[in-house]
Amino acid sequence: MSEDPKTTYEPRIIAFLCKWCSSAGSDLAGVSRIQYPANATPITVPCSGSVSPQYILTAFRKGADGVLVSGCHLGDCHYLEGNYLARRKLFLVKELLEFIGLEPERFRMSWVSAAEGAKFAQVITDFVADLRPLGPQDKLQGQRP
Amino acid sequence: MIDPEELRTRARDLLEGGQVRAVIGYRRGTRGWAAEPVVITRSEEAQDLVWDPSCVHNLALYLVQDRRRRGVLRGPPDRPIGILAKGCDARAIVVLMQENYVQRDEVYIIGLSCESSGMLDERKLAGAAEGIDPQDLEAVDFEGDAFVLSSRHQQWRLPAAGVMAERCLECRNPCPKVHDTLLGKEPREQERRGQALTPAMSDPFAELQRFEQTADSVEARWDFWSRQFDRCIRCFACRSVCPMCYCEECMVDSISFVVTPDTTAQEKANRLRWIERSASRSDNIGYHLTRALHLAGRCIDCGECERVCPVRIPLRLLNTKMERESRERFGYEPGASVEVAALLSSFRDDDPNDFIR
Ligand code: SF4
Ligand code: SF4
Repeated sequence: MSEDPKTTYEPRIIAFLCKWCSSAGSDLAGVSRIQYPANATPITVPCSGSVSPQYILTAFRKGADGVLVSGCHLGDCHYLEGNYLARRKLFLVKELLEFIGLEPERFRMSWVSAAEGAKFAQVITDFVADLRPLGPQDKLQGQRP
Repeated sequence: MIDPEELRTRARDLLEGGQVRAVIGYRRGTRGWAAEPVVITRSEEAQDLVWDPSCVHNLALYLVQDRRRRGVLRGPPDRPIGILAKGCDARAIVVLMQENYVQRDEVYIIGLSCESSGMLDERKLAGAAEGIDPQDLEAVDFEGDAFVLSSRHQQWRLPAAGVMAERCLECRNPCPKVHDTLLGKEPREQERRGQALTPAMSDPFAELQRFEQTADSVEARWDFWSRQFDRCIRCFACRSVCPMCYCEECMVDSISFVVTPDTTAQEKANRLRWIERSASRSDNIGYHLTRALHLAGRCIDCGECERVCPVRIPLRLLNTKMERESRERFGYEPGASVEVAALLSSFRDDDPNDFIR
């Protein structure tokens, strides 16, 4: 077997989705039967502001090839300002990951409302397309349990 | 430069008058020229206090330890504790007060201005001048923009900038802003040009800039950091010396998890261990990135973590990277004021948004 690993490799994405918007958005993409890659494992969180940097680091350390955090558009947060706080905090996470030499494409944030099923599908499609050429993430990864 | 005698008198008066219950300062250590932190409670001990370029330690750490000990006692202390504070120490104390860890009236801050000097970096001393053996030195002293090093038989006068700690070269304000009494002057006044902060001797973030110029690609940075992280032995010295790491339970260190006689085996087993204590690359990365993020907006760049690291991991790079982003993107200056909201519990409408889809 001499297949090119880049063609067989399927990026694994961990997606932290706010339950008030992006998680519902992903449902909408599903019930609307929009086709998009099945590479993302969704984890529903109460708010993008509740995503600890530790979740992101741990996802990478457990072997995620990409991590997505998706929350409500600014002004739409169920808790009023959770997404503003997330934006600041996760900006620093992103900067730090790039600073130590992780490819910037591997961490991503998006604002996706409950009505934006098509946008959710697009975000995942783009993410997978950007991750594919990078190959597996093995920088932060520890031994697999 | 501050006359150490002035400092001793001030501490003696405070202790004699009963204004403070103790004073945290420096005394001559057991290793020749190097100062060591000390907590004195009697006025006679004030004569032991020293002030010279070897007073590198961030004394805010001992304020934290005092607060920890008091934590098990009931009620607030009857009198404040006195503490000597350089510019950076004072900024650390401000962060502790901003976070409500210590209260303003529990501390009596004796501000010490480094004026136009700074602290000596012992590692730069080796090879700084012909014939100096740090082992033989008996004293180091300030003298204008130089350090005077003396051994039993000889004296050297070295330009301070050549052997000064990197963080001191980059320091924007060697003079504490928050204090109860101040010794020494606002520094380099002639250079102030009406600015609120004193221009540092080298560019603030100079070391970070040098790093970014040499490691200017993702691959180069990974090459550098993966090697650094591999070398970490997880001795936790960098965390132990950090005055901002006052968490009772540290999430990067499972042995700090509190266990009481009431803790059940099940509770222990279910404790979430985000990061193992083993010194593997992945766990080390988890450790260092967690710490950098926990210190974002709180680290005041005293450089102690880097100084105590036995394997010389350039930890300041991680912390100053976070500090520079916070300054440039969020206009946030750590340790500037007790009143402002902390970096990560506040936001502005115009925070960076273009990285989000
Ligand atoms: S590393 Fe984080 S959790 Fe540990 S003591 Fe420091 S701030 Fe607290
Ligand atoms: S002091 Fe150095 S070796 Fe020890 S844990 Fe910190 S970085 Fe690792």
